[in-house]
Amino acid sequence: MAKLRTEEFLVNMGPHHPSTHGVCRLVLTMDGEKVVHIEPVIGYLHRAIEKICENRTYPQCSPMMDRFEYVTAMASDHVYALAVEKLAGLEVPERAEYLRVIMVELNRIASHLIFWGVTAMDVGAYTPFLYGLREREDIIDLFEMTCGQRLTYNYIRIGGVSQDIPDEFVPKCREFMDKLWGKFADYEGLLNENPIWLVRTKGIGVLTAEKAIAFGASGPVLRASGVDYDVRRDDPYSIYDKFNFEIPTQKNGDSYDRFIQRIDEMKASLRIIEQALDNLPEGDIKCKVKPKFKPPAGEVYSRIESARGEMGVYIRSDGSTKPVRVKLRGSSYNHLRLVPEIATDVLIADLVTIFATLDIIMPEVDR
Amino acid sequence: MNPPVIAIGELHGVFKWLHELLVSIGLPEPLQNIVMYGALGVTVFSVLSLFALFLVWWERKIAAHIQQRFGPMRVGWHGWYQTVMDALKLLQKEDIRIETRDKIVFFWAPIVCFVAAFLAYVAMPFGRGLIVADLNIGILYIMAVTTFTVISLLMAGWGSNNKYALLGGMRSAAQVVSYEVPMVVSLLAVILYTGSLSMVDIVEAQSGWFNWFIFRVPFGPIAFVTYTIAAIAEANRTPFDIPEAEQELVAGYNIEYSGMKFAMFFLAEFVNMFTVSAIAATVFLGGWNGPWLPSWVWFLGKTLLMVFFLMLVRWTYPRLRVDQLMEFAWKFLVPVTFANLILAAILKHYGLYWE
Amino acid sequence: MRILDHIRNLLKGLGIAGKHLGRHAITIQYPEERMDMPERSRGIVVLLSDKETGELNCTSCELCMRACPTAAIKIVAHRDENKKKVLDEFVVDNGLCCFCGLCEEACNFSALKMATKYEFSTLGKDELIWDVDKLQQVGRDVDYVDTRKKKKPKPDKPAETKTTNDSTAPAKNDPPTDSAKPAAGTQEKQTATPVPEADGKDTTTSPEAVKEPPVVADPDLPADPPEVTKPTVAKNPAPGNEDKEQGGQTDGTS
Repeated sequence: MAKLRTEEFLVNMGPHHPSTHGVCRLVLTMDGEKVVHIEPVIGYLHRAIEKICENRTYPQCSPMMDRFEYVTAMASDHVYALAVEKLAGLEVPERAEYLRVIMVELNRIASHLIFWGVTAMDVGAYTPFLYGLREREDIIDLFEMTCGQRLTYNYIRIGGVSQDIPDEFVPKCREFMDKLWGKFADYEGLLNENPIWLVRTKGIGVLTAEKAIAFGASGPVLRASGVDYDVRRDDPYSIYDKFNFEIPTQKNGDSYDRFIQRIDEMKASLRIIEQALDNLPEGDIKCKVKPKFKPPAGEVYSRIESARGEMGVYIRSDGSTKPVRVKLRGSSYNHLRLVPEIATDVLIADLVTIFATLDIIMPEVDR
Repeated sequence: MNPPVIAIGELHGVFKWLHELLVSIGLPEPLQNIVMYGALGVTVFSVLSLFALFLVWWERKIAAHIQQRFGPMRVGWHGWYQTVMDALKLLQKEDIRIETRDKIVFFWAPIVCFVAAFLAYVAMPFGRGLIVADLNIGILYIMAVTTFTVISLLMAGWGSNNKYALLGGMRSAAQVVSYEVPMVVSLLAVILYTGSLSMVDIVEAQSGWFNWFIFRVPFGPIAFVTYTIAAIAEANRTPFDIPEAEQELVAGYNIEYSGMKFAMFFLAEFVNMFTVSAIAATVFLGGWNGPWLPSWVWFLGKTLLMVFFLMLVRWTYPRLRVDQLMEFAWKFLVPVTFANLILAAILKHYGLYWE
Repeated sequence: MRILDHIRNLLKGLGIAGKHLGRHAITIQYPEERMDMPERSRGIVVLLSDKETGELNCTSCELCMRACPTAAIKIVAHRDENKKKVLDEFVVDNGLCCFCGLCEEACNFSALKMATKYEFSTLGKDELIWDVDKLQQVGRDVDYVDTRKKKKPKPDKPAETKTTNDSTAPAKNDPPTDSAKPAAGTQEKQTATPVPEADGKDTTTSPEAVKEPPVVADPDLPADPPEVTKPTVAKNPAPGNEDKEQGGQTDGTS
């Protein structure tokens, strides 16, 4: 029987689209319902952060780093501060380190809650989005109580943190953590075992471990494919070597595993925060930084484990008050390259699922 | 022709007065009947439109409260006339028409959809004696007429001259046609026990305590569940809302419609939802049977209960992919409903159930 | 049977969604109800005035202008005949402001604060540019902690310029001028404004007033925000000023 000749057509899943996270344009070549070729077109959210930083002094670059990845702004601030401190040889007081860890882990939970909600919404369940945001409201209330802002915190500075936590932070944080532990039963009952969810995400977009490593994937995407690598444990920075935390991994590397992986990571983060709150020392929150800050000439690359993967900052300095070159490495850039790899020859609904579970956000891609 | 039979005292009074008025004017008999049926049609149409408006508001409130927020609050107490305002807003919007559209098809698609949605209420029993025409093929007529919406979806997809719309229209047509089969067959399994296709007879067969078809285990609940799933697919609601899934192809078949044409599609969807819930209430939940309260209150209550269930399902579950949807219909629902039908027939043949 | 498991999980999902129907909503009806903003909340930039006299606290030191990463603040000042700085223009472009709070931390005189107010939408971008009157007016009812050191009688001891640039140099709170308001523990009588262009913006125009010859001492900008413990100050404390070493809000006057 002769095969029916069909014609492929181009569809633009354009920058304005409800389910590309941010402004990403995907030019799809489709054969009926199946996607044959994907070409991402990026640059719609480019704000020239790296270039701007070349004309700002080191303390003035901190607010810029918030905007590099605004969903986990604490982590972005953190990686920059770590890089500058490494360059200048500054030693951060212990209380500041503990506070940093608490804030970064809280931000990781907030980011994973957004991921959970948005992925569910992309696959079609609208309610988890609101539930995730409801929990996140508590987290950013904690942040607002400490540093004054809800999204672009400018809290983690070179040498420490900018302000000490108020008295009501610790009780409120513990209250939030108890509440969130109780909510996991709800979250898992809503989607994890739902047969519709299983049939939509199991076996979709399988990413093997070799491919993940070859494409430079990191973070939950890598761990969901079975590779046990976490920058916090394998290349420790800050005081992560003092904490006792497990790194969950999954086996199959499909969309379902990437989804479950981040829920497990939320639980691991909660345990880290608990340990940090229990052992929070007294002391300074910032080391003495010269007002006209001039690190020695040299270059440094520092990386952290952010919610999406490995986030890195490379700084080259010539001894003046402004950096010569700041290069930002975001994990979503590498993960976006995975999309044509694992989302070809799938139906368009699966493309949406895969794009959502890779947790790609455009500010990290475009900077 | 006889004047239409409408019971409840007041309405009979109004129609009787109208009939006498027409007689006294001296209109010839055919014209009298036309005017009377016209008045009846207008009544049913307006009542249903009000229900549709109410359902839109109710859906938004239920969705909001499931998500722990409020929903419409500004326009009236808790936003009760929000839908009226939305309809007025849509009325004053520009009717955007693309140059390259297929003019006739584009124009008639929303009208066909709207009309097809209301046609089913000719044979719908709203209460004891409250039915426009007690057709002796009632349920068959309703099933046939609810399929007209497929034509309008295809017309909308084709007439828009837009590949997104066409894709959406085709998917939607495939989905609705596929789910017709389990829907009809699961209704058949219980209608075996009434001996007649007339809606009034179906409801009468469920009078008395615990006579409702849903309680007639084992075939009753199975038929109810499969009917509900097929009904959700017929009404194009999540988890079967591929045609209007925003995340995939931005509003499928009605993407090129604006203003009142879009409003017609939108309202027709809610009227359709009311239709399938009303059929479920009539056939499975006992129609207008129930003690103490007037019969139309029971009918309305049961229908709204089904509508509530449909809304709860919409806001809880993710959606199925289109090939999974079709697979589910043909590979799972059709065999199950046919097996259920055979089971019901066997039980009836050997007299294991009361008539 | 798996089908029963599936049905049970589906019903569980419905139950979880359904039980939220009984709970009260967690949203509030803005603008009838408003949330209480925490006190550290960073809203719009305002200029603070003295609580008794009602005059601006700002001394035109321009530290905030230099700290701002987006050049949202523009200050024009000049010196009058007593070599005292007088503020001519203080313009904040709220369209450029990124609400980072660096200006508030840079200020030593409790002159600038990011108030908790946030409702200032306008219909045009030019209405977002606020001058000193508007800034002061909006800031009139903003409560703040006055961290300025009170005026104390000037001790007659030599003005010493410090050698700075050692890596542990604490920040010194030097107002660029203004013997009328000595900052904590400082003994420098700068008559000249420090001109640290490198800390400023390349894009801003430096105000015309800052054309004095540079000081001997390297100008040091305070690194700590006002609410934190003040760094240890003077290397050569004046008699009676030793207790200032602890910093804080103490106003150790002799």
